[in-house]
This record gives sequence, structure tokens and C-alpha cells, in this order.
Amino acid sequence: MIAYTDKIQEIARRLLKDCKVETVIGFRKGSVPMMNEPCFITSADAADGLVWDGNCGINLANYLTNRKEKIAVFAKGCDSRNIANHIIENKIDREQLYIVGVPCQGMIEKRRIRQMAPGEITEATEDGDEIRVKGRDFEEVYNRDEALQKNCAVCVHRNPVIHDEMVADEVEEQTDVDRFADVREIEAMSPEERRVFFRKLLEPCIRCYACRNACPLCYCPTCFVDESQPQWVGKSQNPTDIWTFHFLRAYHCAGRCTDCGACERACPVGINMRLLTKKLNKDAFDQWGWEAGLNLEERPPLDTYRPNDPEEFIK
Amino acid sequence: MGIEPGRLHFSWISSAESTKFAKVAQEVSDKVKALGPNDHFAKKELKVA
Amino acid sequence: MKCIKIDKNEWAGGLEAAASTYRLFGPVKEDEFYEFKALEEGRAPDAAAMAVRNTRTSPRSVVYPQAEVLFEYTTDERDPDAHVMKEPEREEKPRAAIGIRPCDAYSFVLVRNNFESPEYQDVYWLRNYEETTFIGQACHDPCSTCFCTTAGCGPFHEEGLDVLLADAGDHYAAKVLTDKGETFMKAAGWGDEIDFPDEEWEGWKTAAGEKIVSEVPTDRLADIDTLALHDADFWDDVAFSCINCGTCTYLCPTCWCFDIQDENKGREGIRYRCWDSCMFPIFTLHGSGHNPRDAKTQRVRQRFMHKLKYFVDRYEAGIQCVGCGRCVQHCPVNIDIRKVCNLMNSFGETESCSVA
Repeated sequence: MIAYTDKIQEIARRLLKDCKVETVIGFRKGSVPMMNEPCFITSADAADGLVWDGNCGINLANYLTNRKEKIAVFAKGCDSRNIANHIIENKIDREQLYIVGVPCQGMIEKRRIRQMAPGEITEATEDGDEIRVKGRDFEEVYNRDEALQKNCAVCVHRNPVIHDEMVADEVEEQTDVDRFADVREIEAMSPEERRVFFRKLLEPCIRCYACRNACPLCYCPTCFVDESQPQWVGKSQNPTDIWTFHFLRAYHCAGRCTDCGACERACPVGINMRLLTKKLNKDAFDQWGWEAGLNLEERPPLDTYRPNDPEEFIK
Repeated sequence: MGIEPGRLHFSWISSAESTKFAKVAQEVSDKVKALGPNDHFAKKELKVA
Repeated sequence: MKCIKIDKNEWAGGLEAAASTYRLFGPVKEDEFYEFKALEEGRAPDAAAMAVRNTRTSPRSVVYPQAEVLFEYTTDERDPDAHVMKEPEREEKPRAAIGIRPCDAYSFVLVRNNFESPEYQDVYWLRNYEETTFIGQACHDPCSTCFCTTAGCGPFHEEGLDVLLADAGDHYAAKVLTDKGETFMKAAGWGDEIDFPDEEWEGWKTAAGEKIVSEVPTDRLADIDTLALHDADFWDDVAFSCINCGTCTYLCPTCWCFDIQDENKGREGIRYRCWDSCMFPIFTLHGSGHNPRDAKTQRVRQRFMHKLKYFVDRYEAGIQCVGCGRCVQHCPVNIDIRKVCNLMNSFGETESCSVA
């Protein structure tokens, strides 16, 4: 995917030079291995600083909220679905955006590579299917597929769903993946087992809200956990408050989540909170055949009514 | 999440169905009462950790 | 130099003995990383834990828990203490932080400036701090993101520690720095005093210092005009990627801001304080509804200005950062305090050069 960098710079330069857009949102090279930083540029000269590789996992749709100008944004499959969400939810106008689609082969989970490496990684380079990492006294090569973010490994929408231009030809979509194996395992548990499972899952939470803030869906002017008049949720480390935050946050994402993995990627203490949103994704898929953000025409199942909606759970 | 079975109920009641509403509310409250006090997802003690 | 030799075979036993007098805290392995937290009985940090460079969460919570009850009360008239605000019962044993890194221990020295001033003394923080004994572990092998040597401390820094341990292979060489440290060593039953060669210690210290590859210049910060720096044009660029989460401020050993909250249930109530973060939108929300920092850029600027400018000006104790690098490593969008400090420290430099 490194090959995209030149093309991305060329597109950004052209769009800014031709005054097609005022701002381009993309990535610049990070200051630590396996990290790139989202950035905006407003002049064609600055396009040289844009990069693209397997460390562009942050969802750029998150940076569009409430912007007023005409923007070009680079979008992977998931980013484009979140942009579609934004448009459907009237957070941004389609006309305001110039979407540059970036076919994706999955993003790298630096945490997993760090665990595989024998020491601290000080340099990492991507070369085709390989990731070469170096430390003070070691050098290792890993297969890219082993080091993908968990959501990328089961992604079936790697190609952008809406775009004005593509950086490259579409990539082949994965078809033989079992997207919901982990959810089924939890579904099979008894309520008591599930409670214990979730308690353990959420125990490390430090309430930094990185999961919420990295998520393009979380754009409420005041989040329910920040509301103080009245206050809905306590602010201590009481487990009930922590659960309330995580469960309610997940429910707010029902029928909207694209499983972009931004939440897990951002979490500083490694909580796999996608397990919560994935259950809701699975329900939306099983009940209504719905996957969020695939087009701009269809209304999400939770904001519309159809006479044939399943309602077995209602008496 | 692990909520005990029987604590959560869904019902579809039109604004015109007052008797159904009263009946369902009574049934739900009886069923939940029968389960005893809720031990989960509730702050039983004022604790900060 | 006098040192106490602690044979690694006697490490766990010594800590077990100390545990009868102290509540021990230390690096504990969680699923995939280490946290600094209370050690369960009989769970002494092993050699691997002691060699861990930076625990994911900082040891801040040993002295300053993320949430701490200040007082409790009841309004139940049947209780003779009704309406009396009472302190919760405290654990009687003093605390000891085992294997704390010199940078983290030094962070408390910086933070003390806030919790103890001529005008105000924060009894909760001070009491916790004063009862804690800090048994440090020197960093023989710092991370690439560490910049302690230009942040006022270093891999063998002693300020803020009661004992400094250096890893000497089959044993730890313990340099006892204070009376508190001596008391702890006695409680652990470690008393094998040896003459440790100064050159060897200094050699380790130099070798560790040389492994620090990150440097952050701070020499100009104090002299730069505060308002001009506040209005610098780089803040929008610095802040763009920020998602305003609390990762940096909650992993940071030197962040001290807190919120006060009341909670009640029936007639019982508590008042507690919990960490707060300048990254959060409600951090400075006024009762009137006005928020002087309602935009992201203002909040990001506040974090850096506080650490790297206001603190510098107010306390003359360097920057409010010990260079542990946690925020650098774990920021979800790669905002790097080293880069920002560079920008701030060199602010206005080019103009003055061109004039010269």
C-alpha cells in the first residue's frame, strides 16, 4: 500500500491547486514506529508530507464532523461507510466532500507486533506482504496477515463504497471470513457467564473515553457521561458506572457501527470493546440484513418502520 | 450483557390500549418482583472503585 | 559507596516480610502489559516485572488514586452520627512502591508543588505521599521514547526515592537514600552491607544515559512571552488530530487535576474526588454554561502550556513532565509532546535570528 503515497500526494496537490477543495484531510508520517498522524493541509506545497501505509487505521470520518469548508478526504472502506453515515445523519453534505477512495488491505495492529517482537521496536517498514521491524539488538520479519487489526482480518468491505476518485483499482474482497465467531461464543454463554465475561473485559478501563472519541459515530454535542444537569453516570471507578458507559455507548452505535476498529485501536489499556458493538452489528444483520453505511439511499433500520420488521421479542 | 432472564420485557401497546397497558405493567411488575432485588448493574454500595 | 546486597533469591521472601508492615505496590502483569498497582499477597514482582521499562499506567495512583472518598455521611436521624461528615476508615499500613522508575518517583516531587504550597496543603495527597516509601529500580535499558535526561531527571535519578536498586545480575545493589528507605530495608530483612565500586555504578549510569535517544530542549521556555506563545499559529496544526480523549493525561505521572463529586443512596452519601482531564469538554464548563475552553485547540493548548510554560514560570522547577514517554507511546493519534516542546521552545527563534 506504500505505493499509494505518490498517488495520494499527486491527488492532494491537484485538488488544492485547482481550488477544488479548501482542505485535504489525510495522514502524515508519525513520530513513533507503526503510527501515522491525521493531518490537514490547505496548500499544494504541503502535499509532499502526506503518506499512506498500513498504519493509517484511524478513521478519518471522525475529522469531518461540523466542518464547514469543502474538504477532500482519503477514505478506506470503513471510513467511506462512516462518511455515508455522516451524510445520512445530516452531519455533512455530500457536496461538501471530495472523497478519494483508498482500497484497503487491512491495517496493522501495532500492539500485536509489539507482542511478537523480542524487544522494543524502534523502526518498522512495510514491504508488500511483509513487515520488517528493528530494535536495538534484533531484526524480525512478520507476515502482514498475522499482524492485522482484528476487525480488518474479518472485513468484507475493503473497497470504499462512495468516492469521487479512487487512488487505485479495487482490491479483492474477502469472502471466506467468519465475521461473528467471537460474538456467537458470547451468545452461547449463560447470563451469569456473560456477566463475568464482561466484568473481566471492562475491568482495566480508566475512563479516558478514547474509544468514544476515536469513533466517528460519537458526535453528540454533550455525551451522556458528560451531562451534569442531571448527571446520569457517576465519575468514579465504580464498575457499575464503567459498565453503564460501555454498554450505553455500544447501544448508541446500534445499526450505525461499521466495525472500523477505531475504538479498540485507541484504547490505551487494550479492551476489546468491539465485542459489544459487533453483537449489535450481528443483530442488525440477522434481523434486517443491514450493514451500516453501504449506500446513501437506504434509511437505517432503527430510524424507519417497515410492516415486516421482525418483532418476536415483543409481546 | 448478562441481565437475568425475566428482568427485561418488551411490549407493543398503542396509546388507545389503556387496559392493555395496565395489565402489562401489572404482569411485568409481578414477574420482576418474583425475581427478588436486582443484584446486578445496580450500585448497591457507595464505592468508588 | 555503601550498598545493601539483595540476593535475587531473597527478593520475594524479603517483600513477603515487608508486606506485614507495608501495603506493597508494584508492576503487575495484566493480559498483555504491566500496570502499577497493589500487589496481592505473595505476588512479588519477579525479575521480568522489575525489568519492565514503563508500566502502562503510571504509579500516580499509589499516592493519588483515580477516585478517593474524602468523607461520608448519613442523614438518618437514628444514627448518632447523623449529619456528621466522617472520613472513611483508612488502611493503617503505610505504602511502599516497589520497582518504581526514577522518573515516576521524581514526578511526585514535581506534583508536590501543587498539593503543598504556603497557602494550601492538600492533606489527602500529602498524607498518602508522606506515608509511602519509594523503592526505585534504576533504568539500565530505557525506551526509545524516554527523554528523562532532558526533563529534569534520568535513569538513575535519586530525587524522590528512598532506595535505588540497580540490577547487578544475581542480586540487586540497593543504595539506601533516606531513613524511610532504611526502615523499609530492615522490615524486609535486607542488611547485607557491601562496598560497591563507585566506578561500576557510575558506569551503569553513564551507559543508561547514553541509551536515551530522545532529547527535548527546554532552555528557552521560561523566557518566551506567555501571551505570544499562547497565540502562536502552530496550535491548530498541533491540535488537529487530537480526539480529546484522556489517554495522555490519565497515563501521565505528573497530571494532577481532579473533580469533586457527591453521590448518595437513600440517606447515605459520599464526597469523592476523581481524576479529571483538561482534554474533556466539561473540564472548564462554568455553572453559567459558558466554557472558556470550548474548542479542541484551546484544550490541547492548555495541556501543553500548563506542562511546558505555566508550570515552568510558576514553580521554577523545570517542566511538568518527567520524560517517561507514556503519552508519546499511547496517544491514539500520535500527538508527540517532544515535537510540541520543540515547537514551543523554538518559538520566535527564527524571527530573532533574521533580525540578527
